[in-house]
Amino acid sequence: MKKFFALGLVRGLSWEIIGTALGIGFVTLVRLLIGLPAWKAEPAVVFGALLGALFFLVGVGAVDDWFKWAVGRETGEHFDDSHPGWRRYFGASLDHKVIGIQYLVLSLILMSVGGLFALIFRTELAEVQMQFLTLNQYNTLMSLHGMVMIVSILLGIAAYMNYLVPLLIGARDMAFPRLNAFSFWIAVPAGLILLSSLFLGGFDTGWTGYPPLSARAPLGMQMFFLGVSLAGFSSIFGGLNILATVIRLRAPGMTPFKMPIFVWAALATSLISLTATQLIGLSFQMVMLQRLFGMGFFDPAKGGNPVLFQHLFWFYSHPAVYVFVLPGLGLISELLPVFVRKPLFGYRWVAMSSLGIALVGFLVWGHHMFTSGMAEYLRVPFMYSTLLVAVPTGVKFFSWVGTVWRGKITFETPMLFLLASIVVFLLGGLTGPPNATVSTDLHLHDTYYIVGHFHDTMFGGYIFPFFAALYFWFPKMTGKRLNERLGQLQFWLITPSFVVLSLWMMRVGLLGMRRRIADYDAALGFEASHLVMTVAGFLIGLSLIVFFINVWYSLKKGPPAIGNLWNSRSPEWQVASPMPVHNYDQPFEVVGEPYDYGLPGSQYIRFKGEK
Amino acid sequence: MPASPEKSSALRMGLLIFLGLAVLTALEFAMAILLAFWQLLLLVSLFKAGLVLYYYMHVSRLFEADQDADHESYAYRLATNRIGLWLFLVSDAFIFGGLLISRINLLGLTRPELNQVLGLSVTSVLLISSFFMNRAETAMAHGDRRQFIRGIGVTLFLGMLFLAGVVGVEWQIAAFGPGDGVAGAIFYAMTGFHAFHVLTGVIFLMVVLRNGLRGRYSVEKHWAVEACAVYWHFVDVVWIFFYPALYLIGTVL
Ligand SMILES: [Cu+2]
Repeated sequence: MKKFFALGLVRGLSWEIIGTALGIGFVTLVRLLIGLPAWKAEPAVVFGALLGALFFLVGVGAVDDWFKWAVGRETGEHFDDSHPGWRRYFGASLDHKVIGIQYLVLSLILMSVGGLFALIFRTELAEVQMQFLTLNQYNTLMSLHGMVMIVSILLGIAAYMNYLVPLLIGARDMAFPRLNAFSFWIAVPAGLILLSSLFLGGFDTGWTGYPPLSARAPLGMQMFFLGVSLAGFSSIFGGLNILATVIRLRAPGMTPFKMPIFVWAALATSLISLTATQLIGLSFQMVMLQRLFGMGFFDPAKGGNPVLFQHLFWFYSHPAVYVFVLPGLGLISELLPVFVRKPLFGYRWVAMSSLGIALVGFLVWGHHMFTSGMAEYLRVPFMYSTLLVAVPTGVKFFSWVGTVWRGKITFETPMLFLLASIVVFLLGGLTGPPNATVSTDLHLHDTYYIVGHFHDTMFGGYIFPFFAALYFWFPKMTGKRLNERLGQLQFWLITPSFVVLSLWMMRVGLLGMRRRIADYDAALGFEASHLVMTVAGFLIGLSLIVFFINVWYSLKKGPPAIGNLWNSRSPEWQVASPMPVHNYDQPFEVVGEPYDYGLPGSQYIRFKGEK
Repeated sequence: MPASPEKSSALRMGLLIFLGLAVLTALEFAMAILLAFWQLLLLVSLFKAGLVLYYYMHVSRLFEADQDADHESYAYRLATNRIGLWLFLVSDAFIFGGLLISRINLLGLTRPELNQVLGLSVTSVLLISSFFMNRAETAMAHGDRRQFIRGIGVTLFLGMLFLAGVVGVEWQIAAFGPGDGVAGAIFYAMTGFHAFHVLTGVIFLMVVLRNGLRGRYSVEKHWAVEACAVYWHFVDVVWIFFYPALYLIGTVL
């Protein structure tokens, strides 16, 4: 029992409960003292949740060292981990590998929760009329599915960036290990607050939270805004850390154009999350303030402008999709050469294309607002800037095709997922321009076509690369290989069902099915299509169960990972699995090109003291 | 202790920049009364911000980053810390940029009715605090502990005075509340977000003052002092843009 309460997570959660209660009590007391009616749920709960999150961070120990610094005390070296074994994953650790795995697990938990929400409302959609959900429940689940998945994706890419970037560049840890722990742990109360909206009246705006609807939605709306704002800090500080690490801690000889492609992708991603994220936070906080203090930013009755919210929101939320997919696309370029035993085609162009996508991505947000009453002359420049994104994205496809071309391909599970990524992301990419083009978007906007397009980009750019990378690096993380047969089973379950799901989404969308609505007219004749989509959704869910069984089984009975499993040139595979605590016992130096697979006599790195 | 020539010249430079900023602020105020050109005000603000960025925040130190082979050495970590801090400031600047854009979108070339004397006073207080912050940092870098402590103390006092002026006086005497029209909303949001940053800066100053009094900083190792100074000047740069945006641009509503 005592050991149980010594776990950081348990302490953090207990503190969070205390902090929330204190916050609620404090607001009520202040209202009493200044002569207002004592109980008002909204300010009390918002302040309570905020204070609870701060208390969680103190309780879990994520800010201990900063307090020590503030009072002028020294702190130990950052790799002193007090808890051995599995316990260290449940408390504040400063090791980037532990934090990476913590991110990964939290991401998978949220992915399962978000997926479960989708299956619930998907089932409701299979037949016309409402069967077992109320309209409010439907709206809440649909909205939360979007945002829970987004947070899950942000945590998932943070998992790989945390785990891999220091290993790939030969650093001992991230540049700021304490900030790294803080970034992870703030995501835990953020996720809890976000999910608490389910029990506080829900909300009905979709994941975008547009005012004026969000200005009068139930209390759950505030929890949504607060949870996302806090998760935003995780993303901002995570990005900051990656940037500083890549700029400062590369191995000797690793000039920019000898960095692994995934590091380039992480750099481009982090540039976006460092800067743009502040604006979604600001837009959400402005709605929170409007609800709490009547500040009329987006209230036309007070001279406010609802369209301003959309500008601030999309200035982040379009680049955000590049935050979601750039690491995944980087993983494809990173791993493809390993399985085709050929150099990556056009390395420099691929590196630059990630930066290009990130930078152009800042100039395209208006394509979400073609139908929103934005100034009309803005439509055309936003249309062309959006179409321009296809150029650097095309560079990536060209490179993948060039890399695979006449390679000696082997089809292990990671490779299967890589190939599926490319195909599905191509589907997502080709269905994009019709939404960017004003004339067609006026018809497609807010239909299931957008939903289908978006899920294609997310599965191709995130989900499939996520699993490819997990099958690839799981042995490095745990020392055990994942079962190949179960892996293939998962792949053949998820891929066809997902393709069917997204194509059917686009089909009903083109025929006029509106997105986000809880019910549709039987006369539209979409019932059979919705049934197909629902069945496909459950098959995707089943594939995830197969995956979890695989993880559980392989951790117990899987064969140990010995040596360079995939015959990779990357430095982390030249040392033992799981990775040693201090990363590399001998520092390495970069002496050649990273992806010269199949070229005799080429060498990428050389460890110190090695010939 | 006799002042070294480098120290005196650094202090003189700090004073010179302060005088320049003061003159520009007066010019700004006069310009707003005489000719209502927002373009000129923007130019002056950019110039002021440039002066602070270069001479008080030492942005050029970022580019003389230590290329030492030993990644664990104090000098190497110091350069990494600088990059981290500046990345944070870039990120933070996006919040204030977003607020400015919202202000322009919602109010255009109108502004809320505010007390001009008070506005100019709090602006001056913050500017003078930046001067003392710079003195304190220069003193620490040259090992003058007493001047350092005095500088931090004065900065801390002026920071609290600024907070009292904005939150304690301006918010109380304003003719409108946060819920009264969009101008009120923008005014309280901009001053509120800024005041929150001043408050965190004040807390940072308290920490530095306490540890400084206990002699924790040395000529070679005083990163916390430098970070505090850069952060404090950043808060000043934000106000360099917010002051004209709230008090000077356009016509009163
Ligand atoms: Cu977009």
